[in-house]
Amino acid sequence: MMHRSSPPHLLVFLLLAVFWLDAAGTRTAIIAQEGNGTSNNDSETGSPTRTVVFEADDSNATIFDYHQIKGRKSSGSRFGRREGELDFELTGNSRIQSMTSFGTQWSGNAHLLWDGVVGESMNSSFDVDRTGVYDVMIQLTLAGDYGLFRMTLPNTSVNREIDLYSPRVELAPTIVLKKVRLEAGRQPIAFKLIGANNKARKYRNRGYLMGLDFIQLTPTDMPHNSGNTGAENSQDHQKIVDAVTNQRNPDTATVENSKAMTTQQLAEFTRAFCIDCHNGESSDTEVNFAHAVNGQNWQQDPELLRLARNAINHHEMPPETADQPDAAQRRAAAATLNALLTDYLLEHQNHAPTTMRRMTRYEYNNAVRDLLQLRGDIYPLPEKTLRGSHDYFRPATGQSPRAILIGNRTLGKNQVERQILTGVTPFAIDLQAEGGFNNRGEELGFSPILLESLLRLGKTIVHSPEFDGYCGLTESLFSAPESTTKLDLEARQRISRFLERAFRSPVEHATINRYCDYFAVRLKQTNSFRHAMKDVVAAILASPRFVYLAEASGTTSKSQHDSYALATRLSFFLWSSIPDDELLATARDGSLLDPQVLDEQTQRMLTDPKCHALTQNFARQWLRLDQLVTAVPDFERFPRYYSRIGCEQWKFGLQTMIEPLLLFDSIVMEDRSIMLLIDSNYTYRSDELQSWYTDEVPFGDRENRNRFNTNQQQYKRRSLTDRREGGVITTAATMTMTSSPLRTNPITRGAWVATVILNRPPPPPPDIVPPIEADDREIESSGLTLRQRLKQHQSGATCAACHSKIDPLGFALENYDAIGRWRNEYASGLKIDSSGELLGKLKFHDVVELKDELLRHPELFMRAFSEHLLSYALGRQLKVSDEPAVNTILSKVMDARGQFTTVVRAITQSHAFRFHGHEPSPKASEMPVPAMPVPAMPVPDAKGKQ
Amino acid sequence: MKKNRLSRRAVLRGSGVTIALPLLEAMQGNRTHASAMIPAPRRLAFFYIPNGVVQSAWNMNEVGRDYQLSPTLQPIESVREEILVLSNLDRIKVAGTDGHAQASTCWLSSAAPDELSPAGYPLKRTIDQIVADSAGRETSFRSLELSCNPYEDNRESIYFDNISWFGHGHVARSMRDPIEVFNRLFRVEEYTNSTSVLDLVMEDARSLGVKLSAQDRHKLAEYTEAVRTVEKQITRVRQRQHDIAKLNPTTPIKAWQAMRRDEFIQVMGDLMILALQSDLTRVATLMTGPERWGSPLNVEGWFEKPIQHHSWTHGQHNAEIRKQLERLDLFHIEQFVQLVKKMRDIKEGDGTLLDNTAFMLGSGLSSGEHHVCNNLPSVIAGRCGGAIKTGQHVRYAEGTPIANLWRSLAMAMGVNVRRVGDSTGLISEIS
Repeated sequence: MMHRSSPPHLLVFLLLAVFWLDAAGTRTAIIAQEGNGTSNNDSETGSPTRTVVFEADDSNATIFDYHQIKGRKSSGSRFGRREGELDFELTGNSRIQSMTSFGTQWSGNAHLLWDGVVGESMNSSFDVDRTGVYDVMIQLTLAGDYGLFRMTLPNTSVNREIDLYSPRVELAPTIVLKKVRLEAGRQPIAFKLIGANNKARKYRNRGYLMGLDFIQLTPTDMPHNSGNTGAENSQDHQKIVDAVTNQRNPDTATVENSKAMTTQQLAEFTRAFCIDCHNGESSDTEVNFAHAVNGQNWQQDPELLRLARNAINHHEMPPETADQPDAAQRRAAAATLNALLTDYLLEHQNHAPTTMRRMTRYEYNNAVRDLLQLRGDIYPLPEKTLRGSHDYFRPATGQSPRAILIGNRTLGKNQVERQILTGVTPFAIDLQAEGGFNNRGEELGFSPILLESLLRLGKTIVHSPEFDGYCGLTESLFSAPESTTKLDLEARQRISRFLERAFRSPVEHATINRYCDYFAVRLKQTNSFRHAMKDVVAAILASPRFVYLAEASGTTSKSQHDSYALATRLSFFLWSSIPDDELLATARDGSLLDPQVLDEQTQRMLTDPKCHALTQNFARQWLRLDQLVTAVPDFERFPRYYSRIGCEQWKFGLQTMIEPLLLFDSIVMEDRSIMLLIDSNYTYRSDELQSWYTDEVPFGDRENRNRFNTNQQQYKRRSLTDRREGGVITTAATMTMTSSPLRTNPITRGAWVATVILNRPPPPPPDIVPPIEADDREIESSGLTLRQRLKQHQSGATCAACHSKIDPLGFALENYDAIGRWRNEYASGLKIDSSGELLGKLKFHDVVELKDELLRHPELFMRAFSEHLLSYALGRQLKVSDEPAVNTILSKVMDARGQFTTVVRAITQSHAFRFHGHEPSPKASEMPVPAMPVPAMPVPDAKGKQ
Repeated sequence: MKKNRLSRRAVLRGSGVTIALPLLEAMQGNRTHASAMIPAPRRLAFFYIPNGVVQSAWNMNEVGRDYQLSPTLQPIESVREEILVLSNLDRIKVAGTDGHAQASTCWLSSAAPDELSPAGYPLKRTIDQIVADSAGRETSFRSLELSCNPYEDNRESIYFDNISWFGHGHVARSMRDPIEVFNRLFRVEEYTNSTSVLDLVMEDARSLGVKLSAQDRHKLAEYTEAVRTVEKQITRVRQRQHDIAKLNPTTPIKAWQAMRRDEFIQVMGDLMILALQSDLTRVATLMTGPERWGSPLNVEGWFEKPIQHHSWTHGQHNAEIRKQLERLDLFHIEQFVQLVKKMRDIKEGDGTLLDNTAFMLGSGLSSGEHHVCNNLPSVIAGRCGGAIKTGQHVRYAEGTPIANLWRSLAMAMGVNVRRVGDSTGLISEIS
């Protein structure tokens, strides 16, 4: 038993620390190319692109205009590199080998390794996004026991012999094949072992090896993005190549031209710069390196490695007040830690499993709606914020409407439908995970109360008086067949078809029999085919095979999901609902397991209006918009936030909340770049919301009655020229919900930006939080701005370490008051200082420059957004082991300039999405504990669960 | 010997709805006749206040029977003979997890830091659920979890919003809508004929289970456990259908969103009392509000403007804020005492419902200012069938685990648990 004052086990601390720091996923690396623009051309010759940690001044870098990205035609992965260890199918003897012990020159620090005897072939395949003519660059490895191979690309004329012998382990000269025509889809490639160099020695006395580092495809026939001038193009082109190469393994990139440290050197570095605080005894930190200084334990703890790598790489540590390593030392340490981490991840190639979960109440609504082909929802859900009065969300058109008539279910008046089907009421709302989404198995529990709800729901839905007119299956499923001779057979056919759709899996005879038996019993009791069939459906709606998203357990980390499970995963990701018939058909014949079919289905589903769930469910949670519901700007200070209708009071948040969601809608519908979420030159606003932003006194001189509309409003698409507006960060919704009643709250705002925009959630506040005046006027009366006051307040080094990173992001937004309106100075006339640094390095003077920095370093937001969406798609928290998947996704997203469909497609193509997670062997401290202590007294209760 | 009886009219205070309890016989059906000689059942209920209390206004110097009540505890003067105040009971603080989330999730389990859920909180089976494993065997509902969470946003995760847990990652989700609670207790006909459906879905669970990983089978067990619980519930509710029908209660009509703060707590409390009194359950938890949840809150009649409970707790070294916070603590004690009095007014055999109940007020933090977990506010009303020596204030040795109290309360409920969390023994005032 732990003594109550003793520090818990190191591992627990570390896990917790990482949990907090990384609540929603993996972390962003801050990398950019060299500031002076003298980028190299190494990529042409195939050796890894040299990159460095960027050291500020790159203010001259051009900003790409992301408004050019629009339309459903993917630009493909133009500069994508296919890594041997990540992107090639592993068959036969193929496996991944970490190359860090041989140097840092291998891309991704690893390659695909194969061995065989003469006559055998290494067969594999890789993806080609688009049919076309490419320059193909092939990077192989040489070594003393590597053989002589004939390489073929079967659908092309490529066929050549390659000798991979070298006395040393090193990269082979890059092979460049000019102008090879490749078909879109999975492209086979083969290396047949045909012999060996005379000097080569045999591997295990029998055969020879080969190593494939990467293949890079450069299209020779594709025009660059329309709208770009040629001059910009070449620069852009290089920039993307650099960025993509960096992103593959961002933190290797920091250091590829720096030397790795030895274990001994790393230990010395740690002793010199870390151990004074991180020794397990300091009360200021829970990160402890004491066990790791000897270098051995590092390898055992990837979370600690990542924490350390990122802190050093991002200049977060050592703290400003402590001794600093020089730039070379810093790079070398980061490189070494990264190499150790990469080693670990490759050896343990394995992502975390997704815990089986039940549907949320939002998903249950959609699933029942689609299963029974209902005309609308089954119950009103206040969390489904957007209530369009017309079906404006039609992504197939590729065009978001000029104007949308819309209300706010969450906050608006008369917007939540009282009841849809009589007697049908939802179960309790599912709460979001901290820094994450509400679709995680750990938190979606099941209780007797929920089962009661489901039993009641099933029954009340099908027997509600409105049901027959509301359901599209009234005839085909529920109506008694004309002929009664083969009634049983007909019922059986209907039930078995329905079960397959409801359970999203093949249904065995025993199960069909049980439901048919139940049908027969109910038919006998009610003497009504329709009634009996409804009872069958009611039961199915409460079945675990309907309400759980279960994925059969994989035998290894490399086993693919079964096609039905993959279909379910895909439809719940894009639609928050069950698969439709077309998707189910690809599951039935197994074709969905083909990545190309999976991609086609992904693209098809993104044109279906059902993907409005990405706005209603994902975007709302991602933006934490729920916090606007209870925002209460002080009534006297901000009277215009309120309007009285009758005796009720309404908040303007009901209009502001809609703006960021409609922007998101338009990005999905028009397939625009996610970078518009940072900065857009258009937005959707009602006239009243426009007045809120632009008029000195919004709503003119209207009194507090009927000051603004609380029902539906016409939201018009408006061009923006003022860059203080646009994107989601500076919307009135965000600014209001991150404020206190009497003032802005820069810390809350900074934490919001860090979490939502950068996916670098700050650690929770410490137990001791000194208070700050609730009213900025009180602060200003002492002659201080809020910023100066907060600075005073965080004089301690412990506070400053975190706040110096969080707060500047909030201060950048100080020009927006507590209800999101622009102000040039504080009420007292004191000057607003909105300058700061992004992630400690990128300097800005105001919010527009902050946006510029985010646009100039799009990898920051693209990574964060990809991580959020991947976490949502998987229904789990991302782990350090997901880093390779995120890097691959990011490189595709970078290629496509953040085009929305590319983000989604890259996710559905990712290993993490398509393959099983694998439960790691539990460490002692993580062993599941029995659910309850064993009572000493006998508890004869049959269900005793111990 | 007198029989257990319900008062003639139980009034759902404030909601303007009365539950007609027309016949004393209602609760004197066959069951109570048969058990006339059996002592009334013992009940266990918890009343949770979030974010701790102002310590300076809570603590008392004197111990024993003639202790002087502290300012915050003044309202218990009128029922002090029914009350046991306990000082110096501690919980293990789990470093690195959120101070507030662990206050609610770990309070009733005293789970130690090495018992983490994937989400980072130790979530062992809480003491109310351990007791319900036995005490829930005879009642229609094994336990009742209620919350007066007044916030309409969903700012925080489930860890802030629940104190009752079945186990690791398996929450006994609290209900916050009085109408739903009422329907659950008294309008059960909607699912009582679901036995055959339960058979079907149980078979589905079996066919699903064979394909799952160990972790997922653990998750599926939540479902199968719910099925078994509901099955038993249906049987027992049916057995008592006659009694329940005779209660003839009327559904409350006022939505919780429209209730005053005190009204909300009292209506929920009334429902809890009604369930305990009519022996529909013997174990209940009632959260007056969730932990943290930085949204402002109206407490009508007590504060003019919306209050900020959580941020006040961090600002309480400011005398002005502290005064406000003390007033809020007083408000909660006042609500508790009102419910205690209602339980005392319900006759049961030779005594009262309160005599047969342990109704405990507490919080998972002693002070919210620094998230302290030592000297947790702990007040027990009722004697739990004679097991509890009330009418005194007891101060334990520093560092006494509150888990000792959980063991003792379980013992009073007839459940012998060898260890709970970090327990080291029993509390001598409970036998």
